[in-house]
Amino acid sequence: MSVTEETKADEARRTEGETEQAAGLLRGLWALIRRGVGSLELDTRLLGMIVGLLVIWVGFHFWSGGTFFTPRNLWNLTVQTSVVAIMATGMVLIIVSRNIDLSVGSMLGFIGMFMALLQAEWLPQWIGFDQWYTWIIVMAAGVVLGAILGFLQGAIIAYAAVPSFIVTLGGLLIWRGLAWVLASGRTIAPMDSTFQLLGGGARGSVGGTISWIIGIAACVGIVLLLVSRRRTRVRYEFRVRPMWADVALMVLGCAVVLGAVWFLNRYFMPEGLAMAYAEEHGLEWPEGGLEIPFGIANPVLIAIGTALVMTFIATRRRFGRYVFSIGGNPEAAALGGIKTKRTIVLTFMLMGILVAIASGVQIARLNSATSGLGTLQELYVIAAAVIGGTSLAGGIGTIFGAVLGALVMQSLQSGMVLVGIETALQDVVVGVVLILAVAVDVAYRRRQST
Amino acid sequence: MKRNRYLIALIAVLAMLIAACGGDGGGSDTTEGPDTTTASPDTTEGPTETTEDMTGTTAAGGGDITVGVSWNNFNEPRWANFDKPAIIEALDAAGAAYIETDAGSSAEQQLTDVENLISQGADVLIILAQDGTAILPAVQSALDQGIPVIAYDRLIENPETLYITFDNIGVGTLMAEVIYGLVPEGNYAIIKGNQADANADFLREGMEVVIGDAVTAGDITIVCEEYTDNWDGAIAQTTMEQCLTDNNDDIDAALVENDGMASGVVAALAGVGLDGQIPVSGQDGDTAALNRVALGTQTVSVWKDARLLGKAAGEAAVQLAQGAALGDVAGVIDFESPGGNTMTTILLDPTPITQDNLNLVLDAGWIDEATLCQNVESGSVEACP
Repeated sequence: MSVTEETKADEARRTEGETEQAAGLLRGLWALIRRGVGSLELDTRLLGMIVGLLVIWVGFHFWSGGTFFTPRNLWNLTVQTSVVAIMATGMVLIIVSRNIDLSVGSMLGFIGMFMALLQAEWLPQWIGFDQWYTWIIVMAAGVVLGAILGFLQGAIIAYAAVPSFIVTLGGLLIWRGLAWVLASGRTIAPMDSTFQLLGGGARGSVGGTISWIIGIAACVGIVLLLVSRRRTRVRYEFRVRPMWADVALMVLGCAVVLGAVWFLNRYFMPEGLAMAYAEEHGLEWPEGGLEIPFGIANPVLIAIGTALVMTFIATRRRFGRYVFSIGGNPEAAALGGIKTKRTIVLTFMLMGILVAIASGVQIARLNSATSGLGTLQELYVIAAAVIGGTSLAGGIGTIFGAVLGALVMQSLQSGMVLVGIETALQDVVVGVVLILAVAVDVAYRRRQST
Repeated sequence: MKRNRYLIALIAVLAMLIAACGGDGGGSDTTEGPDTTTASPDTTEGPTETTEDMTGTTAAGGGDITVGVSWNNFNEPRWANFDKPAIIEALDAAGAAYIETDAGSSAEQQLTDVENLISQGADVLIILAQDGTAILPAVQSALDQGIPVIAYDRLIENPETLYITFDNIGVGTLMAEVIYGLVPEGNYAIIKGNQADANADFLREGMEVVIGDAVTAGDITIVCEEYTDNWDGAIAQTTMEQCLTDNNDDIDAALVENDGMASGVVAALAGVGLDGQIPVSGQDGDTAALNRVALGTQTVSVWKDARLLGKAAGEAAVQLAQGAALGDVAGVIDFESPGGNTMTTILLDPTPITQDNLNLVLDAGWIDEATLCQNVESGSVEACP
């Protein structure tokens, strides 16, 4: 063995040792990060979705030459997502209880048409046009109608034991047909001027200041929630997160909420609107114009509010627990004394109410009701719930996930319009993403369970 | 629970019975089939004879004529409200009978519908095709049985059919003319209809006639051009919002292919306070759109007086049933179809409705003044005093 060969071998051994050392260090660091993230007790699946969403956003941002990640576009995105998001929160409970609702799109069309006729043609005969309370009557009537339709479907599913797939497939045809019967297929417009605010648009937003107030309130809410949870855990002598983890979560939560408010508040009114606003509010019009933020749009607030209430119902109420246990094992739930039939009827009634709220937002936003209103929406709603991690086998799903799912799909669609992809190809992409998302989810669950 | 089961069983049996009856109908079709195929060679061998034969029938009285109409989808506002009554009126005038089917947007259903109409004894068929290609076998079979076919409003690529429609390329031209007249240069957004619908491209073709040169010269820049699934107003709204975002509101005109989508586009413009400032086109003469024209938020709605179309189809159907050859029907011209066929066609002229001629739709009874003028400042347009 020559000297050079010896040094080479030596060197090889040394580098090997170094790599091993480095690898060990990396492993240690990784374990530390994992333990750190672990003590935050975050749902890794949701984290994965959020990362996916960010990837989509950044991807479209560069692809569109920098128009995607702008306050204006994200503001649009939030408004465009709200209708599907509102309905998806209810669809989660339906799917979790091992049912499906294929009728939501048609029901949106029917209830939307009913609400439009009510405010544009029926009510004005009695109370005239544009009363301040018209929108309340219309929304209330819509919600009642939604609850009735949901009750009808739910009762047949629960008490006559007809599969929900069939009942709501029938509903899909029936409500669409009735929507047409209501107005003979006419387009009903315009909507009541106060009612229109439900849909967002120029005047249907809360403005900058209130947006900040809402943001700060949300931030306080996050802090209070984490504090109370910590207290409860201490009281029952559960394991608590390390203090730093709780504080980190509070800071992170507040940063996300306030950051979002700040970003959306940077979408200012175009000059024409701003001038009208200034004139209305008696503001001086300065040389360089005024920067008046739209603030969070009403439909977005409605969607967020709905999601919060639904999360509360799903996780903190007995009804929600029942739904999940029925989805986990219907026989066990029934034997355990849960009134399964009543619970199923209630989930469909809740779905109907949410469809009514979504109808209100949709017709207000479009400022008209057309006979094709809501066509194919059921598929987007189901897809949102499923992309958001709701398992079609039942028992698993979160409201927040479904809202994220809706946001993912709308991001894809709006992004593709922004970069000018052909309509036919857009459908292809959305379809592929739906399958991919669920495939990844299934693979992830399988890995976790082994 | 048990009673419920019985109820459902009962319903199921009923449903089966109904299905069985439907099956019977189909059965009689097939039994009739051979008869008519034997008859069809006659028709091809001796056209004069058949003509005489048919004229004979007419002499016996127009009341013997039955016209079968296959609608694709009553879900669209206009067919039931305007086209159907106009056809019936034209047929009543000639003493002919009217039968109809509605395919509910299903191309497959429409194939069955056409067979059913034939077995019910239709002498002439008027078909509003859901899918102009999928319907071809049924059309061919009808023609083989000596039953003339009128392609109503939508093209069927068979030169033996009589195509009656509004000049769709003309509609695109008309809307572009109005908009181009107001905005001869600047950024244009073009919102097109359903990609699978040939009309979406006809309309676009018609626009090109007007703005093509200006686009080449660089006076007009088309900043967005998108198809819209199902001609859906909500989708058009999203498209327009994205278009405005992408161009930072720097859009000077929107060429929109129908009124339903125009409602979405105007809503998107209203969202940034630009409604009424950017010219928007549309077609169909929807009541909501005419109201927007009166309000000034939509510039033009090209109105195809559906009653004219229905009347023309009804009259042509009677002439064909009485034995007239395609070329002899009143008012026909030759029309080169996208499929390369020379179609015998009746082309009707549409009317662009703007603030200046809203009286036309009022006088025609298409819309009443209260609906047209809702929220319109009185006196701001002539039609709303």
